[in-house]
Amino acid sequence: MPGELIESPLILRDLAKSYGQRTVLAGIGLELEAGEYVAIMGESGVGKSTLLNLVAGLDRPDAGTIRVAGTDLAGLDDEGLARLRRQHLGFVFQAFHLLPYLSIAQNVALPLVLNDLPRPAIDARVAEVLAAVGLEARRDDSPSRLSGGESQRVAIARAVVHRPSLLLADEPTGNLDAAAAAGVLELLRRSIKEAGAAGILVTHSRAAAESTDRIYRLTGDALVPL
Amino acid sequence: MIRRLLLALLLAAVYTLAAAVDYPSVVAGRPLSFPRDYGSHPDFRNEWWYVTGWAKDAQGRDYGFQVTFFRHRPGVAEDSPSAFAPRQLLFAHVALTDAAGGRLHHDQRAARGGFGLAEAQREDTAVWIGDWSLRRDGETYRTRVEAGDFALALDFRPTQAPLPEGKGGYSRKGPLPRQASYYYSLPHLAVSGRVAVAGQEREVTGTAWLDHEWSSEGLAPGAVGWDWAGVNFKDGGALMAFRLRDRKGATVWSAATWRDAGGKVRTFAPGDVVFTPRRRWHSPRSGADYPVAMGIAVPGLKLELEALLDDQEIDGRRSTRAIYWEGAVRALQAGVEVGVGYLELTGYWQALKL
Amino acid sequence: MASLYLAPEVRRLALASQGWRGLVGVLALVLGVALGYGVHRVHAVAVAEAEEAARRLAGEADLAVQAIQGGMAESLYPRLATRPEVAAASPLVELEAKVPSKGPDGRERLRVLGLDIFRAAELQPVLAALPEPTEALYPDRVFLNPAAAAWLGVGPGGTVALQSGMGAVTFKVAGTVDLPGQPLAIMDIAAAQGAFGFLGSLSRIDLRLKPGVDRTRAATALASLLPAGVRIEPPTARARQVAEFTRAYRVNLGMLALVALFTGGLLVFSSQALAVVRRRPQLALLRTLGLSRRELLTLLLAEALVLGLAGSLVGVVLGQGLADLLLRTVGADLGSTYLRGLAPRAGVDWGMAAAYVALGMATALAGSLAPALEAARASPARALRGGDGEELSARRPSPRTGLFLAFLAGVAVGLPAVARLPVFGYVAVALFLLAAIALLPWATGLLLALAARLPLSRWVAAQLGLAQLRAAAGQVSLSLAPLVASVAVAAAMAVMVGSFRHSLEDWLDRLLPADLYLRTGGPGDSAFLPAEAQSRLAALPGMARIEFRRSLNLSLAPDKPPVALLVRTVNAGTPDSTLPLVGPWRLPGRGYPEVWISEAMPDLYGWHPGQIVELPLEKGALPARVAGVWRDYARSGGAIVLDRDAYVAASGDTSANEAAIWLAPGTEAGEVAREIADLFPGGRVAVEFPGELKRFSLSLFDRTFAATYALEAAAVVVGLAGLSASFAALVLARRREFGVLRHLGMDRRAIAAMLAFQGALLASVALVVGFVLGGVLSIVLIQVVNRQSFHWSMDMQVPWGPLAGFAAAVACLAVLTAAASGRLAMARDAVLAVREDW
Repeated sequence: MPGELIESPLILRDLAKSYGQRTVLAGIGLELEAGEYVAIMGESGVGKSTLLNLVAGLDRPDAGTIRVAGTDLAGLDDEGLARLRRQHLGFVFQAFHLLPYLSIAQNVALPLVLNDLPRPAIDARVAEVLAAVGLEARRDDSPSRLSGGESQRVAIARAVVHRPSLLLADEPTGNLDAAAAAGVLELLRRSIKEAGAAGILVTHSRAAAESTDRIYRLTGDALVPL
Repeated sequence: MIRRLLLALLLAAVYTLAAAVDYPSVVAGRPLSFPRDYGSHPDFRNEWWYVTGWAKDAQGRDYGFQVTFFRHRPGVAEDSPSAFAPRQLLFAHVALTDAAGGRLHHDQRAARGGFGLAEAQREDTAVWIGDWSLRRDGETYRTRVEAGDFALALDFRPTQAPLPEGKGGYSRKGPLPRQASYYYSLPHLAVSGRVAVAGQEREVTGTAWLDHEWSSEGLAPGAVGWDWAGVNFKDGGALMAFRLRDRKGATVWSAATWRDAGGKVRTFAPGDVVFTPRRRWHSPRSGADYPVAMGIAVPGLKLELEALLDDQEIDGRRSTRAIYWEGAVRALQAGVEVGVGYLELTGYWQALKL
Repeated sequence: MASLYLAPEVRRLALASQGWRGLVGVLALVLGVALGYGVHRVHAVAVAEAEEAARRLAGEADLAVQAIQGGMAESLYPRLATRPEVAAASPLVELEAKVPSKGPDGRERLRVLGLDIFRAAELQPVLAALPEPTEALYPDRVFLNPAAAAWLGVGPGGTVALQSGMGAVTFKVAGTVDLPGQPLAIMDIAAAQGAFGFLGSLSRIDLRLKPGVDRTRAATALASLLPAGVRIEPPTARARQVAEFTRAYRVNLGMLALVALFTGGLLVFSSQALAVVRRRPQLALLRTLGLSRRELLTLLLAEALVLGLAGSLVGVVLGQGLADLLLRTVGADLGSTYLRGLAPRAGVDWGMAAAYVALGMATALAGSLAPALEAARASPARALRGGDGEELSARRPSPRTGLFLAFLAGVAVGLPAVARLPVFGYVAVALFLLAAIALLPWATGLLLALAARLPLSRWVAAQLGLAQLRAAAGQVSLSLAPLVASVAVAAAMAVMVGSFRHSLEDWLDRLLPADLYLRTGGPGDSAFLPAEAQSRLAALPGMARIEFRRSLNLSLAPDKPPVALLVRTVNAGTPDSTLPLVGPWRLPGRGYPEVWISEAMPDLYGWHPGQIVELPLEKGALPARVAGVWRDYARSGGAIVLDRDAYVAASGDTSANEAAIWLAPGTEAGEVAREIADLFPGGRVAVEFPGELKRFSLSLFDRTFAATYALEAAAVVVGLAGLSASFAALVLARRREFGVLRHLGMDRRAIAAMLAFQGALLASVALVVGFVLGGVLSIVLIQVVNRQSFHWSMDMQVPWGPLAGFAAAVACLAVLTAAASGRLAMARDAVLAVREDW
């Protein structure tokens, strides 16, 4: 599918979304190239989460286009959106959201399992990614035994293990102390760059935003570069 | 004696339902025959032995007493092969008026005849229900009664010959000849024995009156009850008088027999006997008003009867199904006591219907 | 402190998000209390009516002299009446008369009491109040009680025909007598003696003793006057026998209701446990705001009590309605035939209602205790920090407690009945249930580990679902407990009822080998076939063989129901060809006649094969040797089979009330039945075909157990509702995990499949554990509870087909339930919940 590869991992055009009378987003546009890593800042309630949900295909826009890795989300049904997420998207959440009943390696392997990769390929790739986040020794541990920083490293490993086109990180350092936060931001940046993915970091923290290539402020009707 | 028709009335239901049983009729001119007529006459519908009297204990306390045995032939199940067939029914009422205690005690029993448990014998006076009995033993009548709260063990010795009522024992009870009964009395029975009240047993002596009457006939039409009196005079004379009353209290039929001290017997026709209520007592239990003081007049004799105790009302609903007044009375002439006797007042509680 | 609980803020916090899930537990309580109270009420009313009737008939009697079988000579009456101890004696003739107008098949009979109204009035005030007592003297009059008037459909002035021997006697209804209970006719004793062949004999003499006479001493003194076959006993002995008849049945139904309540308690437990888990942050907040541990505990328990009170009150109201409905429709016997014809008035039993409310509240409290203690013990700091508000227990469940409880249950199984009730059987059932609940986490873990080895675990959704369940085994087993309990009880009842029915069918086949049966009446009846009628019957064309039978009632002990003496032809050499014998039997010995006793006889009277026993026949005691034991499903009070030749030799009684007829080949059964009907016109003899008899018996059986089926179904539905609620709670508590899975690219179908798989897994666990437990319970029910209640055995027979259907239905419902909760898992807010961070 060379055609798809040519197109940018994310193209947003004239995106609009309202909830009832309240217009949250209007005329938002953004295009990210592979390896491009940007931060989106903005006050609470300005629509950052809405924007992420739209990009992830968890919510539908009222108007405008969302193309992820060359696919227009408007043309996909629930199953298509699910497939798109499991092939092209990676998520990092503030609360990590590791599944407590799976080991660390199983948590990381989950996207690959969902993509129905053969077991040896999964094992090899999981080992590789865990090594990359420095947690290969903890592979069989339960997530409950990890510190916050470690949990988020596992979450990052899970987010990039299937080589997504686009990685969405929602306040990934919100639950972490400064030292752990710095490590996680560094890892996140490195992982995005190494995977050749595009990345969006949504944050309130100026310091965190500084770890990206470019910073936008979301104002509701525009993404204003800072 | 009419008052004893009480029982017949109380068994009115039986009368109306009785199958066609041929009860013998009471006819004039059949002489009484003793000792056979002391015994029971089971072919007749109703029969009773009725002892009433006065007794005194050593302390001079007055008692009135009544011991009555009724025999009734309902005329049902006469051909039943069962030993329980209710061919003869027996009832008993006993009462004791304790003047000092100011109370009337009474009790009653009912049973079907048979099994030797309740019988009325033909040969001589012998009638009993369980351990309540009245028997003639030689010349003397004996009664034994263990009632709820009193007991009687009395002997009655005749001092005079039997007194046939009406015409030689044929006693008219209404305008029709068949409205009659066979009836004799034994006045001036000498009483001796014991009465027990509230666990206290006392020797007593006194004077009693026995009636024995049998018939097959009911109450005369229009009558709702009757007044009856039997008086033993101190001089040895005796008077029996009764009247049947209608709804308004007017006399439907009356009769009297007077045997004076000399033994001369006078019988009186309906027109000759006058009952005059003098004072009424209101029963708080039943609501009935009884003429407990009564004037009785027959040609040649005027009496005032005064109750020994006002409340001598008897609730007999458990056996004969009526409430009536039966009590010891004093007989006065010009304010002077000339004798003692018993007064029976029925039909004051509810009209007795045939 | 009370004001604290009443503060709306605290109340809101405490009860927040209880919602409908909390209601399921309450619903189970409602059901348990309603069933328990309702069943209790119906039976209490029925038994009270029967006892009241007996008591009012007994009146002021101190002692009753009772003929054990048939009658006693009436000469006893004056002898007793004149005794110094006796104040009053009332002779009675008592019988059950067939009512021809009820048809030849009318199995019900009218109880007839012949009495001397004057004597009876001395003892029974109710009879002194007859409207027209003198009417009672007529030989053709009867007084009916309200039940009889209603049953016969006649009032005063009407007539009723009663069968006597082979004839019928018509009576005029003279009035009614205010006696509750079974249909009853009262007539004059002379009339009853004459009409029903009682001339010269009496059934009973009621005695009132003189004041101050000691009853026991008088009974001893009077007993010495009595001939063999006549017994002196307290007059209430009969009332107790009536209650005795129904007691075992009552207790069995009551136990089912208690199991429903137990299930309700488990549901309260599981829903409260889940609610506590779910509300942990709120509760922790309350703790940080200054509520002490004890106050929090009190708060949670108070909450349980309020729920318990509400549920129990609703339950009692529903139970009252249920009782009224049952009394009006099914009748007081709930389909059993013990208390036929009663038309009782349902009233409110406040004491019992209060007891059931207390029981419901106690159940709610007990169910909430463990979760509340756990909530109070939890550290608020950790609870507040915990991400999903959910901590997974790392403890491996141990089977020790459960095994200990099972051991105790095993001990209870071996214990004998108490007061002829299978108390320890019920204790064993309860202990086995508790043991299973205690073993459930362990068993769940084991079964899920086994499931992980199944090939389907390669499937991602299955893998994830299994992993999720295994991680939450403790919590999962909580939500399974009610379902396991109800499945187990339902399975146990199914096995028991199936075994019973199978054994009953087998028994009917063994007992009804002839082509036709002829019946004039059962024990204590007014109808019988004299010898002359027997020879006329035998002379009918088409008969290959005819066997005459007689059944009588024998009273062997004053406090027990009468034992049936069945007189029939028994081939002593091959008794098992005539009787469904259990265990070995003795070959005919010499000297004594042989009797074969039903299984109740060893249980109730301690009789055993080889023993020489005495049968109190009317003519005197007949010594006999117990030759063997047979199974009898018809008479739980006991039955004795005696060969007819031996009976006739001992009693001289050649009459019969039953006949078994074998037809000559080629003879048409219906034709012979018509000839017999012609021989005895007026419907006085019933001819029955074995096929119909079997159908009748089985339909009676099915009706009897219909109530239990309904109770089981209700219990399973509640169990499933509980599972559904727990499942929903589980999904809600973990909805962020489902949100993550959606983010990772699982589509709705995969998640629904995962949930359905989980539902199937849980249902399988519940069914496996439930069936194993049900198997154990069915053995307890068959070998202990039924054996001790009804004194009969049955062959265990597992109804595999129905059980498989039942399992499939439960599994399907569980899968549907789980899939339905998938809607919760996939709701938008679940997906977005991953980012609702605090």
